[in-house]
Amino acid sequence: MDFTFTEDQLLFQESVRDFLVNEVTTESIRALWETKTGRSDELWQQLVEMGLVGMTVPEAQGGLGMNAVDFVLLAQECGYVALPENLVETVLVVAPLLAALPESDVRNEWLQKMAAGEARIAVGHSRNPLVSDAHTADAWLLQHNDEVHLVKARKKNMRRNESVDPSRRLHSIEWAPKPATCLAKGPAGKALWMQALNYGALGVAAQSLGLAQRMIDLSVKYTSERQQFGKPIGSFQAVKHHMANVAVQLEYAKAPVYRAAWSLANNHRHAGVHVSHAKIAATEAALLAARNGIQVHGAMGYTWEVDMHIFAKRAWALDGAWGDRAFHKTRVAKFVLKDNALIGASNTFVA
Amino acid sequence: MKLTFSKEDEQFREEIAAWLKANLVGEFEQLKFRGGPGDEHMFPEERKQWEQKLAEGGWTCVGWPKEYGGRGASIEQQVIFFEEYARAGAPGRVGHIGEGLAGPTLIAFGTEAQKQKYLPGIVSGKELWCQGYSEPSAGSDLANVKTKARLDEKTGKWSINGQKVWTSLAHESDWCFVVARTDPDSVAHKGLGFFLVSMHQPGVTVRPIEQLTGTSEFNEVFFDDAVAEDIVGEPGDGWKVAMGLLGFERGVSTLGQQMLFQNELDEIVRIAKANGAAKDPVLRQRIAEAHTGLRLMRYNAMRMLSDTSGGALQKAALVYKLHWASWHRNLGALAMDVLGPEAEMLESAPYNLTRLQSMYLFTRSDTIYGGTNQIQRNIIAERGLGMPKEPKGR
Ligand SMILES: Cc1cc2nc3c(=O)[nH]c(=O)nc-3n(C[C@H](O)[C@H](O)[C@H](O)COP(=O)(O)OP(=O)(O)OC[C@H]3O[C@@H](n4cnc5c(N)ncnc54)[C@H](O)[C@@H]3O)c2cc1C
Repeated sequence: MDFTFTEDQLLFQESVRDFLVNEVTTESIRALWETKTGRSDELWQQLVEMGLVGMTVPEAQGGLGMNAVDFVLLAQECGYVALPENLVETVLVVAPLLAALPESDVRNEWLQKMAAGEARIAVGHSRNPLVSDAHTADAWLLQHNDEVHLVKARKKNMRRNESVDPSRRLHSIEWAPKPATCLAKGPAGKALWMQALNYGALGVAAQSLGLAQRMIDLSVKYTSERQQFGKPIGSFQAVKHHMANVAVQLEYAKAPVYRAAWSLANNHRHAGVHVSHAKIAATEAALLAARNGIQVHGAMGYTWEVDMHIFAKRAWALDGAWGDRAFHKTRVAKFVLKDNALIGASNTFVA
Repeated sequence: MKLTFSKEDEQFREEIAAWLKANLVGEFEQLKFRGGPGDEHMFPEERKQWEQKLAEGGWTCVGWPKEYGGRGASIEQQVIFFEEYARAGAPGRVGHIGEGLAGPTLIAFGTEAQKQKYLPGIVSGKELWCQGYSEPSAGSDLANVKTKARLDEKTGKWSINGQKVWTSLAHESDWCFVVARTDPDSVAHKGLGFFLVSMHQPGVTVRPIEQLTGTSEFNEVFFDDAVAEDIVGEPGDGWKVAMGLLGFERGVSTLGQQMLFQNELDEIVRIAKANGAAKDPVLRQRIAEAHTGLRLMRYNAMRMLSDTSGGALQKAALVYKLHWASWHRNLGALAMDVLGPEAEMLESAPYNLTRLQSMYLFTRSDTIYGGTNQIQRNIIAERGLGMPKEPKGR
């Protein structure tokens, strides 16, 4: 039993963090809000060159053939900077979904193009009312009941819907399923969509950890500088405890997120429940970080100019994506209350 | 104890209901359910017109004494007024700072001449007020006010220099009540004055501050040799008057707010029933908690206001802000959870929030303005329970 990451995994995390913290600043995020696509092609190509975009693409298609455990720490860093690009869904949902399909020209070609940075794919799941980053994608993976369709992206078929997070670019898509675009159906298709949901939720959970950490960092800095009653407000117990409470939730949310990553990478039969646990724990930590972070900023935290809201809004938006808390709690409850549920002490790490 | 309305009260209810039905029509129809918490920036001009319409009907300042232009309505009747106002969906009041704060403060602390000068503008709905308390270095530590007031011996008027911040509706206001230092050598709550300053003069500059909602309801206000029209109380009385005003903030003026909360809760319940969230066991319970929490607030407000002996009033007044702010913050989160994955979707471009989103974002500030939750707890513990004061740095 080993809950730790390898040295390589940790080194990769460090270099990705350094890169993201330099390249994705709150100034650059605000600048992108004002642009039409809200995305930077240059940044995407850099992510391609670092091997990030193709991390989970099989080696045969030019990727690194890695898995969710390898990526989970990087997804956390994407959350830390509130990366606007759709990297996490690309790596954790799109590539694993395509890779899980039986070999075919279509599958291989798109995976290859993705890893090479020549094409992007966005994904629409029935749990998400809208599709993220449909506008910069060359193709859309879309759900029709149990069927998986790969549809060429056409501008005229999509309509933008603003999100509370100005970085998110959501679209509704008008399309009709045709036999020619169907890649999988029946039980196989159904399993693929369930896998997509689990991977999507893991991505949200990992990003939420990073978001929570960032909101703690911003708040600790602000409350150490701001003075009231002749003292830094961070010296007041009430303020300190607001942050300590977040730190407790955040630290404890990490283990279930890493556990869920491992379960997905190893096709654990209860991976879905592990993911639900991870998503609930991590999003609750991020929501508390947003609430307490704004509170300790006082009125400053309620402004557009101060950066807190960038991270708070991402946390709020992601909370509902890939299954909201009600959905995931219901899934855990069903698991626990089943007649022969595997909940005894010796079942915590049962294979 | 008697927990019913009298026959006269019910007649009063019919009267206000009929008036609203007859008048909240035509050009005012579009204002229904607008201008509430998080929506204050909407329809400012139309809502100013509405304020004057209300005044024509005699429905502003209903709780004020008749001699100052009010209706002298009893507490019960004021409750009824706010209930019917909310039920009709009548819009958020742009005049609430004048009616709820400035006016009662003048009635309590002003001279007769000041009352004659300022109250009619509030009653007629023609003159709007804003609150100039907070400064960059005086938030929770309100007594750290640095804005200066200097008496000009020649004109006999005070001139104001300094900066206020987070001043709600300053950009719509005609007057500001400003807490400023009359004694330059004083510190903390000594040596302050409470000034009435016209916003329409060269020495006053208003700069909007954008909120995380993308709209601007509050502002920075700069005073450069601005002339104060009046001082309420004596120089040095500023803290006493300013705190007296905060007492009104917790009094009758909160009744209207509770009714808006009721409208919000009703909308959440309606959506929960329609989208299936009401079947979720966790959300069901939270809806029930929201309901009981709001009833708690209403019962306690009535208990507080009907006790004129002052006993219960004092304790209840201390806990009031903390309770409603926390309740409303939770209501915001409940609204988002009831909406589920659709919670993040805006009404339209560029950044137009839905009503519930505005409400949710606005409730992030409820636990901050008017004394943060932390400061409220300090007050409850120190003033209410007599616990030792937290050590201060100065
Ligand atoms: C929407 C909105 C509208 C407003 N409208 C007005 C207005 O019209 N007029 C006006 O004058 N002001 C207005 N304000 C300002 C408001 O009154 C202040 O924001 C509030 O008093 C807190 O001050 P601050 O923002 O400087 O926060 P700070 O005082 O800097 O507080 C930051 C954090 O430190 C905590 N803290 C500070 N001191 C202590 C302590 N001793 N013990 C424990 N914790 C402490 C606070 O609780 C808070 O969490 C408004 C604010 C908002 C958000």
